[in-house]
Amino acid sequence: MTSLLRDPLLWILLVVLGAAVAAVTRARRTNMALRVQEDALRRELGAEKAGRALLREETAALEQRHREALAEVRQEAEEETKAVLKAAMRTLQVLADEQQLIIDRTQKNYGDDPGVVADLMEIDHANSQFNRRAQGIAVLCGGWLGRREHPASVFDVARSAQGRIRHFDRVEINAQVNVTVVSRAVEPLAVVLAELLANATNYSAPEMPVVVGIQAVPNGVCLIVDDYGVGMSQEEKDRAAALLSPQGPVDLLALGNPPKFGFAVSGVLAARYGFRVSVDTPSPYGGVRAVVLLPGDLLTADADADAPAGRAGAGAPAAGARIRDLAPAAPAVVPTAATRAVGTTAGGLPKRRRVAAERTPARTPRPDSGGPELPERHDHPAGDDSETTASRLGAFARGTARGRDTTISEGSEEQ
Amino acid sequence: MTRPSEDDLVTGDFVRSYVITGGRRLPSPTDLSLHTLVTLAPDREPPRRASPEVRAIWDICAGGYLSVAEVAAHLGLPTAVARLLLTDLAEQGHLLRRAAPPPAQAVDRGTLEEVLHGLHALFG
Repeated sequence: MTSLLRDPLLWILLVVLGAAVAAVTRARRTNMALRVQEDALRRELGAEKAGRALLREETAALEQRHREALAEVRQEAEEETKAVLKAAMRTLQVLADEQQLIIDRTQKNYGDDPGVVADLMEIDHANSQFNRRAQGIAVLCGGWLGRREHPASVFDVARSAQGRIRHFDRVEINAQVNVTVVSRAVEPLAVVLAELLANATNYSAPEMPVVVGIQAVPNGVCLIVDDYGVGMSQEEKDRAAALLSPQGPVDLLALGNPPKFGFAVSGVLAARYGFRVSVDTPSPYGGVRAVVLLPGDLLTADADADAPAGRAGAGAPAAGARIRDLAPAAPAVVPTAATRAVGTTAGGLPKRRRVAAERTPARTPRPDSGGPELPERHDHPAGDDSETTASRLGAFARGTARGRDTTISEGSEEQ
Repeated sequence: MTRPSEDDLVTGDFVRSYVITGGRRLPSPTDLSLHTLVTLAPDREPPRRASPEVRAIWDICAGGYLSVAEVAAHLGLPTAVARLLLTDLAEQGHLLRRAAPPPAQAVDRGTLEEVLHGLHALFG
């Protein structure tokens, strides 16, 4: 035993054992501490994660609010811009209208001089294009075009539209039917057609014509604008279709720079007045075919259609002698104020109405003497002051006319 | 400034005169002066695709001679524009025309005075 105690190996073993126990104990302690620390850290991480998710949510909400606020600001800014533009355009429209009246008046005052009239026509042409631009912007800004006093034939609407574009001399109008457009739709239809014609002439070769066809369809009238251009790509067609059937207010900034107003203006007006504009049918000539479908409720049976009602606006008294009043009345004339006022011109002169020949076919329009017609009949009750005056003045005029006509039979003046 | 609304009336001629002429050159007034008298040639049918203005001229001129100025006033068009339309019709043979009647000859003042004296003598 003592020998064993003296054995150094034993002591060494004991020492090593002690050290090992100490080391294990220390390791255990360290391990425990680390575990605790890890748990704490894990908890901390969880909390942090939850915090981060919360922050994310908050950020998303803030971003959403920011976007909404931006959209709102933008919409408000656009609305305000539109309101300002609308007012500004209104001034321009009024000025262009005034200028048009002045041109009308001057043309009539100096009408005998072809040079002056031709120059005035150039000014008029520029003014009409100017007015169309102002009207287009006004429409996109929610403005109105104003209303024509009288209904007009579709043919005249097409001609009016023709006058509002630069290359009006390339437009051909083929009217298979001639119906009348109600007065409130006259101006918007003319503006839409002018925009379509402007597109057609701008996007086709300068020497090629643009053809407007007017056709009756079961539920109204179709105006078809065909050009000989290269047509539109599918992308352009989609864009046009979207603009032509707008879902809300037009975004001015989306129209490009320089802006392309045509389809946007057409879409807004079509939606506002209840007609339809489309460009999705291919044109037989290879270019674009734009179709305006006017429903029956924008048409009227008013007999004004027979005359070029477009002449002589209310503001041009010099032109008060309306052709409308001279034109043959359609069989089913509604006796409107305009048709009743046949008797005299604005200047108080009698009008030689040739209606009588049609209403009483038994009478030859030109009696054997070659003189003017016999006194025309009045379809309106006697005692109507203007009618009586008209018939008296008419008798006077016929007298003088007959005086002049006595020489007709000489026949020497024929050329 | 007027408040913009749908009900504002748009005045001014609806169809502009350069569209009616088709942008063509206007004829000089030497051929058809303001006083030249025109009427429709007998037994004529209006051109098949006559514009409303031409049809209106047809109606106005059917009844006897009218001066160019009168036709233009009835149409509500500048005279030069009416003249172009009338020139077209004349070239197509639809129109008869003759120069304005000459102004009355100036009568010798002495003759007039004699007539006046004669009248005074007769009626006091």
